[in-house]
Amino acid sequence: MNAKKWVLSLPVIVLILAALLAGFNYVTDPFGAFGDRFMQWFSYDETNNPRAAKISYLEQHHDEYDSYFLGCSSTSSLPTESFNEMLNAKFYNLIMYGADMKDCEKIANYLIDNYTVKNLVLNVYLDNGLTYDDESNKLTHSLHYKTDPDMSALSYYSRFLLADPRYGYQKLVNKKKDTLMPQSFDVFDEQTGAYDKRVRDVEPIGSTADYLNAYPVFTNYPNHEPLHLYKTEACMQSVAAIRKVCEENGVNLIVLTAPVYTDYYKNFYDEDITNFYESLAKVTDYWDFSSSSVSSEPRFFYDSTHFRNNIGEMMAARIAEKEYPDFTPAITAIPSDFGTYVTADTPHDYFTQRPAPRTDDDTAVQVPVLTWHQLTEDVSGSATISPETFRKQIQALSDAGCNTISLEQLRDYVYNGTPLPEKPIVLTFDDGYLSNYEDAFPVLGEYNMKATIFAIGVSIGKDTYKDTDHAMTPHFGAAEMQEMVDSGLISIQSHTYDMHQWPPFEDGNDRVRETLAQLPGESDADYEAAVKADIQQSQQAIEPITGEKVNALSYPEGAYGTLTMDALRSQGIELTFTTQPGVNAIVQGLPQTLYSMHRITMTEDTNMDEFLAELAK
Amino acid sequence: MAFTSASFIVLTIASVLLYYIVPKKAQWCILLLASAAFYMAGSVKAFAWVVLVAGMTWVTGLILGRYNAIKPADKAQKAQIQHKKKQIAIICAVCCFGLLYAMKYWNFTLELLPSALGNHIPRWDFVVPLGLSFFIFQSMSYVIDVYRGKYAPERNPLRYSLFVSFFPQMVQGPISRFDQLAPQLTAERKLCWDDLQIGIQLALWGYFKKIVIADRAAVLVNNVIMENCPYGGAVIALGILFYCIQLYCDFSGGIDITRGVARMFGIDMTLNFRQPLFSTSLTDYWRRWHITLGAWMRDYVFYPLAFSKPFGKLGKWARKHFKGMMGKICATSTATFIVYLIIGIWHGANFRYIAFGLWNGILITASLLMERRFLSWKEKLHINDKSTGWRIFMTVRTFGLVFIGRYFTRAPRLKTVFTLLGTTVLHPHFSEFTSVVPTLGLGISDFIIIFVGILIVHGVEFFEERGTDVQAWLNERPALMQLTVLTVSLVVLLLFGIFRAGYISSEFIYKQF
Amino acid sequence: MREKIIEILNEICPGNDFENETAIIDDGIIDSLDIVAVISELMEEFDVQLGVNDLTPENFNSVDAIVELIENAQD
Repeated sequence: MNAKKWVLSLPVIVLILAALLAGFNYVTDPFGAFGDRFMQWFSYDETNNPRAAKISYLEQHHDEYDSYFLGCSSTSSLPTESFNEMLNAKFYNLIMYGADMKDCEKIANYLIDNYTVKNLVLNVYLDNGLTYDDESNKLTHSLHYKTDPDMSALSYYSRFLLADPRYGYQKLVNKKKDTLMPQSFDVFDEQTGAYDKRVRDVEPIGSTADYLNAYPVFTNYPNHEPLHLYKTEACMQSVAAIRKVCEENGVNLIVLTAPVYTDYYKNFYDEDITNFYESLAKVTDYWDFSSSSVSSEPRFFYDSTHFRNNIGEMMAARIAEKEYPDFTPAITAIPSDFGTYVTADTPHDYFTQRPAPRTDDDTAVQVPVLTWHQLTEDVSGSATISPETFRKQIQALSDAGCNTISLEQLRDYVYNGTPLPEKPIVLTFDDGYLSNYEDAFPVLGEYNMKATIFAIGVSIGKDTYKDTDHAMTPHFGAAEMQEMVDSGLISIQSHTYDMHQWPPFEDGNDRVRETLAQLPGESDADYEAAVKADIQQSQQAIEPITGEKVNALSYPEGAYGTLTMDALRSQGIELTFTTQPGVNAIVQGLPQTLYSMHRITMTEDTNMDEFLAELAK
Repeated sequence: MAFTSASFIVLTIASVLLYYIVPKKAQWCILLLASAAFYMAGSVKAFAWVVLVAGMTWVTGLILGRYNAIKPADKAQKAQIQHKKKQIAIICAVCCFGLLYAMKYWNFTLELLPSALGNHIPRWDFVVPLGLSFFIFQSMSYVIDVYRGKYAPERNPLRYSLFVSFFPQMVQGPISRFDQLAPQLTAERKLCWDDLQIGIQLALWGYFKKIVIADRAAVLVNNVIMENCPYGGAVIALGILFYCIQLYCDFSGGIDITRGVARMFGIDMTLNFRQPLFSTSLTDYWRRWHITLGAWMRDYVFYPLAFSKPFGKLGKWARKHFKGMMGKICATSTATFIVYLIIGIWHGANFRYIAFGLWNGILITASLLMERRFLSWKEKLHINDKSTGWRIFMTVRTFGLVFIGRYFTRAPRLKTVFTLLGTTVLHPHFSEFTSVVPTLGLGISDFIIIFVGILIVHGVEFFEERGTDVQAWLNERPALMQLTVLTVSLVVLLLFGIFRAGYISSEFIYKQF
Repeated sequence: MREKIIEILNEICPGNDFENETAIIDDGIIDSLDIVAVISELMEEFDVQLGVNDLTPENFNSVDAIVELIENAQD
């Protein structure tokens, strides 16, 4: 081959390689820049680049929405459903991590010009005073060219078509690892546009000490030398521009400032912070959630900067109180200092307030949950207790001044702030044995104590194992259930319908479900469906008899996983119980403290003096 | 404008196309325009400095040329002319090196002064122009050569400016000589496919060394060699080893790009590296590493120094007081020592570079003085210095000395140099190889790529050292093989170079020197 | 003069056949350091003044060239 041919073949090879690269990037579309035509995996694309991928998604789906949340990552926790209900709208969350107000302005303009927009909820965060019109990494932070008048389609396409093929390759690799629950590579929920926080929203939270232990970031908070919020003025000009375009187009604009974790304030100069919020008040009225007692409670935050979805519900509730009284919020237990409507007339002193620093004082109420199974004279193991011992234990609790509470009271405390009595305690029974009715119920009646029985749906009223002749301990039936519930002391809740099977009696069933846990090799989707179906059956078996909602469940053998809790939650289960011993730290406004609660198993051998002394600690 | 930037590649392609399209008389103008564009893209202010230096040396050259043209009538007039010439050359040298000093060493000097005094003298915080010392050295070599009457001065200021500012060499040399480079720059050329092919191949090879190997090795180096380095000696030594790899691949890769681009215009630039990995002594190393700097120092520092009157006196004095060889080479050794000290300081304004100069100077001077003794030892021990074993021993030993020297050029300051050296020897902590190395920013694949890359570089240099022209050999292979090599090279550059995770086009290490 | 020059060369760079060599510098038989030593010796021996300008490879590539250089300098 002569030199001429070699030199001329160089551009040909370069062109072929470029074409291959562009083709690969177009097909895999790891940033969702071209609408992800082939894989349609927007939750992945949005994780790589929310700015481009979300607009690509909306290009295909904008007729499903008429309202938008807009802002940086803390915008994610605004609750889509509550806002939909409150404003009779269809919200999409256009959160973009690290979004600055220039990004927001460009996108707001695009939305209003091209889509139907009834409401726009704009979140202004402190960071918006720090960066403005910033494009640090082109592939992950680039806007969609359609929303960005400063970028040509050519530079947009060449940027993403000639991107590093490893991004696309990684997408293919991760597609294989994809599960129902979000992972680090697909953190967005496609339909709502918000971060998919299902994993964090079902985690048990517990005491302040437990939480700080699990998330040390709050103890070693990432603080640095204070920074100036030099971009405040530019940011506010963009806010003003957004306000103007909304007014001109009849869009209902709600501006709010998200809760900021107390230690985060130390990263900025104090006068800059005051100026930031005060400048915002000059360009628009807004809902201020930035500084309140919420900011000093680490359990209200997922991490150092992102507040929980529950707090978003509180924000919706606070806004509704003033402007949309028809809306019934999910949570009404809201700290009184949370949420202020700020206007240009708000006095200067208001903006100088900062939340109190975090303290180690736990605001939680300590609630022990006791559990029994069967009452019988024939005591063997921890699942049985003699009626005499049971009576003595109840007597001791009564003498000690414990006040039994129902699960409904517990729930009300967390969601609505209804006060609890002194020394609250919860009594529970698992499985639904007839002896609960015959031996325990009369004693409880005598002492006027409340209790919850978790019944296995399929076993109600049976003394032989499901569809077989195998004899088993008798379980109470509908009549007994009704009588107990009518007394006002007993609530019947779920111990699953048929997910507490007994292998020796399950002839010919090779997939015996002894517990609610996922079976080996079972797909996430199959498992989720099985759990949902079982809970529905359980609710159908109990609710018609008791006339009460089934919203609590105790896990057979205490076994469960993240997927379990998420599936249960979708079926209206709000309280769950494990067999792990311990006392529960219950926090107002934090429904997660009702998940996977600890229980103390009471046995024939329990020493009540020691036990009560332990509780008193 | 970094070599790794898209704009450099666009500039190169555009100027090569134009170069062969325009009338042959105008070809050199394309090079001048491209050079101006290259420099202006960086900074207009810096461009002004190039113009200033080029203008000053061009005028000096013309004046010196006029004196050279005078045929002296007698010895007195000859001496008078010589005196005038000397004055003019010295003024020009003081201006040029004064500028270099002011830009690079002024602030360092202030730091040396007592703070009461230093704080009152204004600091000089100009941006050091790209490749400042390279174009000053290059234009001063022209002035001195004209002064010495080696050649006539260039009358056309634009042609001369092209010699000073030819864009491929602006960043990091090589430091060319006027008589070697200028005629090539202004020659008229037909399109030669062989030159294009060889030039492109050279540039690709340079890019491979630079962005695939050097930029990758740099990640580890930057994570290890720093103030208060928390690691043990083994990891530090690995960091310095990677620094050696980074420095060589970055610098020689950059020179290959320079030579490659120049070759696309049919211009053959002087070699700056000749397989320094195969050096058998430190002196040999400096003849193979950054050759043009060494040659410049030899012609314009070492010779004048060695033939100066004070050194002549020193030589005579030494001959009288020391017997044999010692007396004879005392003066040259001193001159040698000074040259290496200057080479050290040339690298930058810092004590560690002075120490680097001392390290090289002392070792080389000592080996000069000990040469005879070594020879007799070798005879006694029956060592055959042509044997492969001896050569390997010498090569490894030389690399060891270079390796230690690299502590001086990489550590942030002189104190750290000694801390790092001390830790390397006293606290190796070999166990950190498994615990720390994976956390230094490079994955397994990166280590493999660096390792394979080094093998390839070393392999090619091995054949070059044995006299094989690897490029010529490659270009005689069957077409299919050539196309495969080309395609694989481009894919490797793309995947392991341009698309390195979070790739940002990096700057040359040597360009501020 | 030739013999004296060869003697000087051999003293500084032993083990070479300078008599028939015509590329002493170009082949790198003596390097920049040695050449300075050689010139110092030559200046001492023949009482001539040599300078940087005389330092071209052509002047030192062969013994004959060196002889010519010194004869020119002696004039």
